[in-house]
Amino acid sequence: MADDKDVLRDVWFGRIPTCFTLNQDEVTEREAEAYYLLLPRVSYLTLVTDKVKKHFLKVMRAEDVEEMWFEYEGTPLKWHYPIGVLFDLHASNSVLPWSITVHFKNFPDQDLLHCPSSSVIEAHFMSSIKEADALKHKSQVVNDMQKKDHKQLWMGLQNDKFDQFWAMNRKLMEYPTEEGGFRYIPFRIYQAMSDRPFIQKLFRPVSPEGNAYTLGDLLKEMYPAAITNDGEQKRYQVVIHGIEPLLETPLQWLSEHLSHPDNFLHICVVPTPSD
Amino acid sequence: MSGCALNEKEFFSCCQLLLQQSEHLRDGWSWEAVQGSEEGYLRKTVLRSVLADCYDAQKQKETASDSVSPVSAHPIQELQQQERTQPVVATRFHSDGIIGNDGDEDDAVCVLSEGSSHVLQYEYHILYSCSYSAPVLYFRAFTLEGRSLTLEDVWSSVHPNFRHCLQNSPLTAITQQEHPLLGQPFFMLHPCRTEEFMRPVLQEAQEQPRPVNYVLLWLSVVGPVVGLDVPLKYCTQLHPSSLQRSASDLMSSTVETGVRRFARKTCK
Repeated sequence: MADDKDVLRDVWFGRIPTCFTLNQDEVTEREAEAYYLLLPRVSYLTLVTDKVKKHFLKVMRAEDVEEMWFEYEGTPLKWHYPIGVLFDLHASNSVLPWSITVHFKNFPDQDLLHCPSSSVIEAHFMSSIKEADALKHKSQVVNDMQKKDHKQLWMGLQNDKFDQFWAMNRKLMEYPTEEGGFRYIPFRIYQAMSDRPFIQKLFRPVSPEGNAYTLGDLLKEMYPAAITNDGEQKRYQVVIHGIEPLLETPLQWLSEHLSHPDNFLHICVVPTPSD
Repeated sequence: MSGCALNEKEFFSCCQLLLQQSEHLRDGWSWEAVQGSEEGYLRKTVLRSVLADCYDAQKQKETASDSVSPVSAHPIQELQQQERTQPVVATRFHSDGIIGNDGDEDDAVCVLSEGSSHVLQYEYHILYSCSYSAPVLYFRAFTLEGRSLTLEDVWSSVHPNFRHCLQNSPLTAITQQEHPLLGQPFFMLHPCRTEEFMRPVLQEAQEQPRPVNYVLLWLSVVGPVVGLDVPLKYCTQLHPSSLQRSASDLMSSTVETGVRRFARKTCK
């Protein structure tokens, strides 16, 4: 379907205009200017910010530079979450550009994973894909792929190559027709005001009677507080890739079209803005 | 138990059973529940001393023998609950996977003296992965001053037989991950191969006419990989004395088989 393929492209090419400012406590030889960048929603902070690092290193001495990390309004940003998820979760209703503070010292190792190289990002990304396939296909599809196929998925993401990525990823989006969908849907529900980082449980896309479950059905089961009852004021927005899909949308369709390249459907539940 | 996968209810029951035994043995496991539901995880904290002097002595003494790499002499001795009335003796990992002291003259057995040791606090969590229908081991370690150990530091507590295998196979390796319930960085032993190596271990165990605790069995295979000891007494102490010997035989042979199979699977 032409329309559905357009959705895949829109998701892949989503961008967030971002302004990177150096933390004012960092020691610099002269004043550091802010750096502006369009960040891909579907990628990871440490994968796309080499230019940011180079920019700020120009005004710093090597001995004042340790592992780079990012923070938004006091919250350290988890590089292992897709960029779009971080934005939707922490800054979805704030004014653009997204203002991120850059740090080179005092890495918060109680909050953030270390990211010493891009191979760590690759391992994390491939691990997510494997886990998603364990849920969708009992790992059969991903295990049937060769090492070079796995590499193609990663290179597609790293080099922003939609066609290269989807040539392989479409195999992970197939299912036996008689099943009506995947075995379980790979999803994570994030809430900003929670100790628990996310909700992830088993959920089938199709009922035993063969009816397609919707986004609303998933939320009713996993996070009922997110659903507004009749007559109530809407307290929460349910955001995927910066939009609020209708709760009637079939979950299987969402999984096939609105998943991130890691094959997970990342769903953010954020408080509705008060104004 | 459905095949070699474990569902969440079974995980919960196995954990409760393990907890009861742990309480009897004072092995230190506790259950941390999530928001008053059945969801939760097993947790244990262990104090471990690292003998810096002994490590250096071993390095100097390095022989050409391949059977024991110098780093494997890095001793690990549990300190919990014990009054040290005698010096702590270094324990060696042997190349055939059996941990123990031996009397060979070649081995340097070091004695812990005050001031030469670093005490580390290891924290182990056992969670359930619904994606892999298996238990998962998470852990982290701190110095007593509160400094977190890095992945490099932690490698030294990995059983030498596995260090090589794990380093070559990223998906069964030890990696830093976000704890799914606490959101903090932990190290994790990847669960994607668990069902694979548990299958033959379970089949062997199930040939005996006795119920099997999946989580305990799994822990006895993966625990030693990251320096977590599972005493044989777990298997014996709830059985009548007449079955004691066969229970511990089963346990040690199952563990040995499991350890070997785990090594084979991860080294593919």
